[in-house]
Amino acid sequence: MTLALIDWIIIAVYIVGCLSAGLWMRRFVRSVDDFTVAGREVHVNLGIASLAATELGLVTVMYTAQLGYEKGFAGAIIGVIMAIAFLFVGSTGFVIEPLRNAGVMTIPELFEKRFSTRVRWLAGVFVALGGLLNMGIFLRLGGDFLVHVTGMPGSWLESVMTILLGLVLLYTVFGGMLSVLITDYLQFLVVGVGIVVTSVLVLRHIGWGNLIDGLNSAWAANQAAGAKAAAHPFNPAHPSNFGWGYLAWQFVFQLAVVTTWQTTISRVLATKDSGTAKQMYRRVSFYFVGRFLLPGLWGAAAFVYFTQHGGLPSGLDSSTAMPRYLGVVLPAGFLGLIIAAMIAAEMSTVSGYMLTWATVIYNDIITPCLKQPLRPKSQLFLTRSILFAIAAFLLFYGLWYKMPGNAWDYLAVTGNIYLASVFALLVAGLYWPRANSTGAYAALILGAVGPLTFLVVNAVVAKDRQIAPEIAGASSFALSFLGMIVGSLLTAAPAKASAPNPA
Amino acid sequence: MKDPYVICWAVLLFSSIAWYGFLVFYIGIKAGGEIRTLIKDLTAENARVDEIARRDR
Repeated sequence: MTLALIDWIIIAVYIVGCLSAGLWMRRFVRSVDDFTVAGREVHVNLGIASLAATELGLVTVMYTAQLGYEKGFAGAIIGVIMAIAFLFVGSTGFVIEPLRNAGVMTIPELFEKRFSTRVRWLAGVFVALGGLLNMGIFLRLGGDFLVHVTGMPGSWLESVMTILLGLVLLYTVFGGMLSVLITDYLQFLVVGVGIVVTSVLVLRHIGWGNLIDGLNSAWAANQAAGAKAAAHPFNPAHPSNFGWGYLAWQFVFQLAVVTTWQTTISRVLATKDSGTAKQMYRRVSFYFVGRFLLPGLWGAAAFVYFTQHGGLPSGLDSSTAMPRYLGVVLPAGFLGLIIAAMIAAEMSTVSGYMLTWATVIYNDIITPCLKQPLRPKSQLFLTRSILFAIAAFLLFYGLWYKMPGNAWDYLAVTGNIYLASVFALLVAGLYWPRANSTGAYAALILGAVGPLTFLVVNAVVAKDRQIAPEIAGASSFALSFLGMIVGSLLTAAPAKASAPNPA
Repeated sequence: MKDPYVICWAVLLFSSIAWYGFLVFYIGIKAGGEIRTLIKDLTAENARVDEIARRDR
């Protein structure tokens, strides 16, 4: 173990403080509305803190560092595209403005108003399926980080992550969104300090000039040796890196993410009004550049460091190189701070995601099937029980599933199971009066075909015959919109074709 | 260092570090105030609901 006493003290103080704050908020939970959208009382800065904390998890740090290791600084282009998408939506109100004005708790709830109860239910199934599969690898990746940065035995991974999940479950089950908001705030502060301090220490250790030279030298050496896999470390559009096709898919994908991803949208729906939601998006946009670029810096620095020190030690790969490198770079005290920060990142993301998917399952899959509405206490009990079930799924799935390819591609493609179709439904539902239920069914089903094929085929075929993520992702967007357009035009127009906006 | 890509990434990287540092303080103070307001509002709402329930009994 590489941790000193001061590191343990920092970690313990943070966890106890966070847990206490989360549990303290349970006293304010009276209804499902309080539990799931914090009574819609969220102002812009708390919304920013919560959104930023939820969307910057330990899993994010791991996959963005992996991109940095494999693709250099160019790997962070996805963060730049995401920031542009946030800024565009925050400036125009595209999708989020009418969505917030509709006063719904989840996106599928809007589909009931616009299409039908069955469309809502089916969308709820896809949203929950895509979201849960996406979240399935969070614990494993988070555990990998802790194992390699602390030097603890690999056999402890399952136990440590189970305890961490138990703590998150405890405050999320009791306090819901109110607890998540308060703990997100604390986690935002700890993560922010941890990321800034670590980035400065990494730059000091590796040296800016050495980092750039190291990346350039490795690229030049690989080119000289005729290596196909090496990526240009600075140019994302270079054929050896993402290439234009992948970047084009990412522009559409990120636009869908910021308007459709339920954990992001749940913050929009918790804001006081649509103006606050737009302001929150504009102000948080640049945060997403750093979300990819700063851990990407750590990954790129790990690549240069290990290249200059005899290559990657056995047992490490592009994903686990960064935490091992941080274990070398960070002194006692700082190591405790970054571990506390990363535990904070993990807790905020897991709590936010669990609550979001539980809300969708309760609100859009179970509620439409009930003949009579449940009493408020039963509603709360049911939502809390779903949280337990999700936690059990995370433990089970996270332990046995083996990812095909890198973590980012897995997350992008599983998210796509519903992103493409729900994006098509949202855009058509809000802005195209001719869209109807048949088009919605076609979009939902066709949108899931590409990502599900990717997951199944790539899990069983040899690496050289696997489907490229951009092909799976782009095809699902194309098929969704095609399904919506063809399905709607081939069948009768909806009764209220003149009312495109449910707001 | 004359590579425009490197210059671009350098600008984004150092801006990100500065932005994160700024946000921690700015959002830390502002959102802290909003949490106090949120708790005050929720406490008042709970008291109001309790009062109605007591009267109904």
